Amino acid sequence: MYQDWIALGKKKGLSDLEVFAVRNRSLSLTVYQGKLDAHVQSDVEQVTLRGIYQGKLSTIRFENHAHANVDHLLNKLIENAQALTVTEPAIIFEGSPSYPEVKEERFDFSRIPVTQKIQLLKDLESYILAHEKVTQVQNASYQEVDTQTTLTNSKGLHLFKRNTYAYAYAIGVFKQDDDIKTAYDVKLVKDFHDFDAKKMADETIRQGISKLGGRSIPTGSYPVVFSNEQFADLLSAFTSIFSGEASYRNLTALKDKVGQQVFGENIHLIDDPLHPESHFKIPFDDEGVACQKRAVVESGVFKGFNHNLKTSAIFKVQPTGNGFNGGISPTNLYLESTSQSFDEMIQPIQDGVYITDLVGLHAGVKAVSGDFSLQASGLKIINGKLDHAVKMIVVSGNFFDMMKRVKGIASDLKFQLSGIGSPSVFIENLMIGGEA
Amino acid sequence: MLYKKDLSFLLQEGLATGADFAEIFLEDTKSSVIRITSGEVTQIDRGNTFGAGVRLIKGIDEVYGYTNHVSVDNLHQLILNLRASFQTESIVKVKAFKKPQPIRSTIVKPMDSVPVSEKASKLQHLSRLMKSYDSRIVQAMCQLIETEQKVLVVNSLGTYQDDLRAHTRVFLSAVAQEKGNMQQAYEGPGRAMGLEFLDLLDFDKLATEVAHSAITLLSAEDMVPQVMPVVLHNGFGGVIFHEACGHPLEATAVAKGLSPFAGKLGEKIGSDVVTAYDDGYVDGAWGSASFDDEGKPTQKNLLIEHGILKGYLIDYRNARKMNMDPTGSARRQSYKFSPTSRMNTTYIAPGKDKFDDIIKDTKYGLFAKKLGGGTVVPATGEFNFAVQEGYMIEDGQLTRPVRGAMLIGHGKDVLFKIDRVADNLELGQGMCGSISGSIPVDVGQPTIRVSSMTVGGAGGKK
Repeated sequence: MYQDWIALGKKKGLSDLEVFAVRNRSLSLTVYQGKLDAHVQSDVEQVTLRGIYQGKLSTIRFENHAHANVDHLLNKLIENAQALTVTEPAIIFEGSPSYPEVKEERFDFSRIPVTQKIQLLKDLESYILAHEKVTQVQNASYQEVDTQTTLTNSKGLHLFKRNTYAYAYAIGVFKQDDDIKTAYDVKLVKDFHDFDAKKMADETIRQGISKLGGRSIPTGSYPVVFSNEQFADLLSAFTSIFSGEASYRNLTALKDKVGQQVFGENIHLIDDPLHPESHFKIPFDDEGVACQKRAVVESGVFKGFNHNLKTSAIFKVQPTGNGFNGGISPTNLYLESTSQSFDEMIQPIQDGVYITDLVGLHAGVKAVSGDFSLQASGLKIINGKLDHAVKMIVVSGNFFDMMKRVKGIASDLKFQLSGIGSPSVFIENLMIGGEA
Repeated sequence: MLYKKDLSFLLQEGLATGADFAEIFLEDTKSSVIRITSGEVTQIDRGNTFGAGVRLIKGIDEVYGYTNHVSVDNLHQLILNLRASFQTESIVKVKAFKKPQPIRSTIVKPMDSVPVSEKASKLQHLSRLMKSYDSRIVQAMCQLIETEQKVLVVNSLGTYQDDLRAHTRVFLSAVAQEKGNMQQAYEGPGRAMGLEFLDLLDFDKLATEVAHSAITLLSAEDMVPQVMPVVLHNGFGGVIFHEACGHPLEATAVAKGLSPFAGKLGEKIGSDVVTAYDDGYVDGAWGSASFDDEGKPTQKNLLIEHGILKGYLIDYRNARKMNMDPTGSARRQSYKFSPTSRMNTTYIAPGKDKFDDIIKDTKYGLFAKKLGGGTVVPATGEFNFAVQEGYMIEDGQLTRPVRGAMLIGHGKDVLFKIDRVADNLELGQGMCGSISGSIPVDVGQPTIRVSSMTVGGAGGKK
C-alpha cells in the first residue's frame, strides 16, 4: 500500500516521498473502589507522509487511509510545499551505514488475561487503602502499549521497529488533620511478571506519608536539593535549548556556544538511545537516521546541538539521529551520576530544602530565557538530615545560572518515562518563596 | 460509510450482553498549521484525525474502545470485545433515532476556501511588523492553527446528532535579546469560527503589543518573592478561576468526593462579589460548541452566585453516579477519548468596580497583566499559575515591570480573598488538558483583586 502511495506521489510530480506509519494498539484499565472503572482498548494507525516538491518539503499526517483521501491529501501537500517561501535543505534520507541493535525480549502482554491485570490493580488499591492515613485511592491504572513503526521511502530505505511495554500506578489520597496530599509511583515494565503490587504500594505509602504535616517556610535563599525525578523533569523542560533548530532560529542562549564552557565542570550530559537503564531503546529516529550515543555537555563544555536532517545540513555536520515528531528532541538524555550517596551529598547542608514535587512545568519554565519559577513541595534539610515536610513554596532561578552552581550530584540516576534521566542534584542556593 | 441501519445494529449488539447504554462517536477532523519565522513561511503541516469511539455503560460501569479502522465489521469486532465485560441478559432495546437538531454555529470561510499562500502572506506581514518594531527583536514567529471537526454522536437512547466545529487561532510570539538576556512574549487569540476570524481582530495592533511586551521584559526585574495583594487583569487572568475552582467543579472530581466543593451545593464558597458561569455556547467563542460530545445541546450553567455554590459540570455517566442531570458539559479531544465533564467558556461575571479605582486603591501589590498557564491538583486544591507580564503597584500607581512571578494558592481560600471585581469582562483562550484530552476553552473575568497571595520569583538578596 505504501509503495502505491509513493508511486502516486511521484506521478503527481513529487521528487521524493516518505511514508512513516505508526500502528498503536493499547489497553487501559482503571480500578476504583474495588471495581473496574474504565476499560479502554484501541487500535489506531497514523501515517505521516513527507514529500519534496520543487525542492520544498511538506508534511501531512492522516488516519483515514481511503485511497480518495490520500489522493486529495497529496494534492494538499503539493499546494503547501508551493506556499513555502523559505529556502532550506529538503532531505529524504537514503539510510545510515548501520543501525544499532536493540537487544530486548518482546513480551506479549495480550497473553495475560484481562482479569489478572484487573487483579493487579485491585491488589495495588487494597494494599494502599490498608494504611490508616489513606482516605481513598483516586484511581489505580494500568496501560499496555504495542507500537509498530514502519518507515518506507522513495530512496529505497525500509525500516521497522516495535516496542511493547506496560505501566501501572495508583494515586493514594493521604489525610492528616486538615492536610490532604496525593502520591503515586509509576512502574513501567517490559514483562508483566515484573509488576509487584506490594512493592508499588509500599513506595506510594512512603511518599504519601512523607508529604503529610507539611508547612510553608519563610521566604529566602536556601541550599536546594532536587530529587532525581524532579531534576530530570526540570531538565526535560529545557531540552529545546540543545536543539539545532532552536539555534538556527535564534531561540536558544547556547547559539554560537559550541566548544565553550557553558555549565560547571562537574556537568556531563549524555544522549544515549540504548542506555541499559532507560525505558525505551531507540534504534533510529523518525527520519530513518541511526541513533547514537553522544556527549551533549562534557565537563561543562557544550559539545554540539542535537540535529535532524535539515539542521545538520544547515550546520554542515553529521545528523545525530534526533529528528522526532517533525522537530528535534533527545533520545535518552541524562545527567551523569557520581559515586556519592544521597546521604553524603546532603550531609554538609545546615538549613536547606529537598524538593520532591514540582508542579506546573508547562507554565513556569521559560526555555528561551532560562528562567523558571515553580510550585514545589518536599522536605526541610536540617543539619545534614531530612526533616519535616514542606509545602506551598515556589522555587525560582535561572537554568543557565543554576547549572554553573551545582554543588553536588548523587549516585541515584533514574530515568523518567519522558526518556530524561538524572541523579539527585544539590544546588548551592535558589530563591524560595513562602511565608511572609 | 456507515448508514443509520448499521449504527442501529451496532448499538443493539452493544446492548446484547447487559449494557444499558451504547454510544458511537464518529469523527473526521482536518487540521492545518502554517508557521512563519522572521517573515518566511517555514512550515506548513496538514493533518487528519479519523476514527470511531464506542462506549458501553451498565449502571455506572463503562467500557470504551476506539479504532481508525471504521467499517461495520471492524466496529462489530470491537463491540464484541468490549461487551465481553458484561455477562448478563439484554435488558434494553435501542430506541429509534430522533431527528438531529440544527447546528447553531456557522462557518463563513471554511479552511479550504482560502488559498494557503493567501493565509501565509497575512501572517508574514504580522511577523515583519513584530520584527521591525525594535532592533532588539531577534525572532518573530506567527502560527495559524485551523481545525474543522466533523462529528456524529449516536446512542441507544435515540440520539443522532451531527456537529461541525471550526477553530481558528493565531499565535504571535516575539523574542527580544540584549546581550545574554533573552525574553519571549506571546499572544494566542482564537475563536470557534472559520477564517473570518482573521478579519475580526486588529492583528496589526496585537503584533505591535507582543513586540512591545518582549522589549519591556528585557528591562523587567526578577520578582522578589513575598506574600502580597495581587490584581489580576481581565481576559486570560480568568485562568485563576479555571484552575482553582473550575476543575474542582467538574463531575470527574466531585463524583469521587475528591473536590473541596463536593457536597457543598447551596453553601458559601466565596466572597459576595463572586458570581461565575460556565457557558457552553457563546457565539463564536473558542471554547463553545452547539452540542457536547454526547450529542446534547450545550447550555449556560450557573456555578457560583454571590459566593454561593449553585452547580457542577456533569456528563451522562457521572450524572448517574451523582443522581443529578447532565449539564451539556461532556467533552473529549477526539474519538481516542471517552467523554467526561469539562469546561467550555468559564468566567467570573462583571462587577461594579472600575479598573482605575482598583489600582488606585491598592497601596502595594502586584499587577498581573498577562498570565501564562497554570495547574491544579483537585484533590488537594493547590494551584499555581505563571505571570507572563507583571508590574509592581506602589502607592496606587503602576511602576516597574517584573518577570518570573509565580502565584500559588488554595482553591477554597482564594475565592474568599477576592475583594474587588471590575466591570470589564473579557475572555482569553487556552487549551485545557485533563482526562479526556486537550480541548479548547475560554477563561475569563473582569479585572479582580485577591487580597493576599503567595508570589514566588528569583529576585531579592541571594
